[in-house]
Amino acid sequence: MPSMNIRLEKLIPLPMMEQDTTGSEIWEADSVLFEQGKKYIIQAPSGKGKTSLLSLIYGIRKDYQGSAYLDTTDISSLSSRQWSGIRKEKLSFIFQGLELFDDLTALENIQLKNSITRDKSLQDIKKMAGLMGIGDFLHRKTGILSFGQQQRVAIIRALCQPFSYLLADECFSHIDRKNSMIAFQLICQECDSRNAGLLLTALHETPQMDVDSRMRL
Amino acid sequence: MKYLYRILWQDHSRTHLLWAFLGTLAGFVLLLAGIQFYLDFKSILKVNRDLLDPEYIVINKKVHIGQTLGLAKPGFSEDEIEEISDQPFADRVAPFISNEFPISAYTQSERFPDFYTELFFEAIPDEYIDVKSDQWDWDTAEGIIPIIIPQDYLNLYNFGFAQSQGLPQIPKGVISLINFRIRLRGPGRGNYDDFQGRIVGFSNRINSILVPHDFLEWANEKYGYYTKAEPSRVIMESKDPTDPAIINFIEEKGYDTIREKLKSSRLNIILKLIISFLLVIAAIIIGLAFMVFLLSLQLMISRSSQKIRRLNKLGFHYREISRPYILLLLILMIGVTVLSLLVTGILAGHFSGVAEAWNLDISSTLHGLIYGTSLGLITLIFIANTVAILLSTRKLCK
Repeated sequence: MPSMNIRLEKLIPLPMMEQDTTGSEIWEADSVLFEQGKKYIIQAPSGKGKTSLLSLIYGIRKDYQGSAYLDTTDISSLSSRQWSGIRKEKLSFIFQGLELFDDLTALENIQLKNSITRDKSLQDIKKMAGLMGIGDFLHRKTGILSFGQQQRVAIIRALCQPFSYLLADECFSHIDRKNSMIAFQLICQECDSRNAGLLLTALHETPQMDVDSRMRL
Repeated sequence: MKYLYRILWQDHSRTHLLWAFLGTLAGFVLLLAGIQFYLDFKSILKVNRDLLDPEYIVINKKVHIGQTLGLAKPGFSEDEIEEISDQPFADRVAPFISNEFPISAYTQSERFPDFYTELFFEAIPDEYIDVKSDQWDWDTAEGIIPIIIPQDYLNLYNFGFAQSQGLPQIPKGVISLINFRIRLRGPGRGNYDDFQGRIVGFSNRINSILVPHDFLEWANEKYGYYTKAEPSRVIMESKDPTDPAIINFIEEKGYDTIREKLKSSRLNIILKLIISFLLVIAAIIIGLAFMVFLLSLQLMISRSSQKIRRLNKLGFHYREISRPYILLLLILMIGVTVLSLLVTGILAGHFSGVAEAWNLDISSTLHGLIYGTSLGLITLIFIANTVAILLSTRKLCK
């Protein structure tokens, strides 16, 4: 798979333009480059645009100024068909709002995408779930799981597809420290095996997580 | 993909879809049965028509007081004849010609009582006459005038007059043996010739005393001295006497004809009225059902709008997301087609059984047009709905 870098040029979401962005390493920068294969943590308090940043790159928000490139392609030029392809093969997203289907079981939620891309075997999925401590909940309807358990289902789902970049939006917010580290290691492992990049947003400092670069938003 | 179907099919409204399905089905059955029976009846009328060969229709002007008083013309002008022959239903038109001199007939026979009468002759071209006789030709040298009289005249005599007067009935064959003299009188005294007359046939079609066309032309030339009158009747040949345009034309022009012959034409009009009424109702029902289908699917989509947005976020294209809806639509459409054809087929089979008792040949199988119509219509509804589905899912996706 050819490498895919993410480049931002004077990118800023429209709502952020009315806010004070002094000191932001992204909103104030002329150009930002996220290289494939490298891991970044973007740390900021609430309301600084963490979710906006990931959503812009992922193409589900279009209200911005400046430009963003996936390799050399300006994302504003991508068609809906191309976005679908990118979201299936190039970019994986762990949503802060999880975006799980309550009526499906945890396993079905994971399989929803995996059954198309056939990225992971059922065994792989069970192994990951076991590692994350939700092995017993795979056959339960997602709607009745706790938010922390749901968050882990969402993480596993995002890992069960091909990607060049994983966008993780505060994905450990409801998971305890020990399980967060297990999840983080699993994520790193999956990224490394794909030579994929990681963009992880976090509310607080995360010194225990080993990454290539930390940025302040 | 099965999860996609499970997610999106959850939000359907069973009652909405059921009513839309039943409505469309009812509309389709009505429409298809209407077409089926229309085609059947049409072919029945056509068969009757073919049996009759082309129909000959004698048209005359209605007799009213104006003609009695000599104010209105009883005859057809050349323009009027032209107008009739210009009608699409008229294949050929010929005017009757009549004698322009006095004619009388009398008998001088030992075997029959003496008999004398004033007479008229009319003539039309041979091809319009329903009696075929080898004696039907005029030879000046021979001097025998062949005559065709209406079958009704003989019946009047045999069953009415002869019966009441104690006279013997006369069979057809004997009539032609009766020799009688025909006297044609030109202008001036003593200017006449006697010929022998012979009845050679009886017509069911033409209510007149007919002689060969060429004879009457010859005789009018030789003896005629009346002012030439316009023909009071014309005969029209029509391949399709069921054509309602004939009756309409005749009525509109104030002409008259023997209505019996045009009965099937009235039947045709009534049939067309009923069928078109049926088709309009069917179209309305199908239109309404189509709207319910459209709205049910749109409702289903808007109920699932959050899920659709979520699926789109996960990388599903709106075309992929539309697939479960299109499949559902397809299943329902196929259901409507198959069921409506089945029901119409059963109806056709049932009615052909009933019609057989009346000796009507209604086909028990469906006409090809039925399959074509249902397929065409269902495809149309399917395409329109599919477009609507694609448009509304696209609106929800980024």
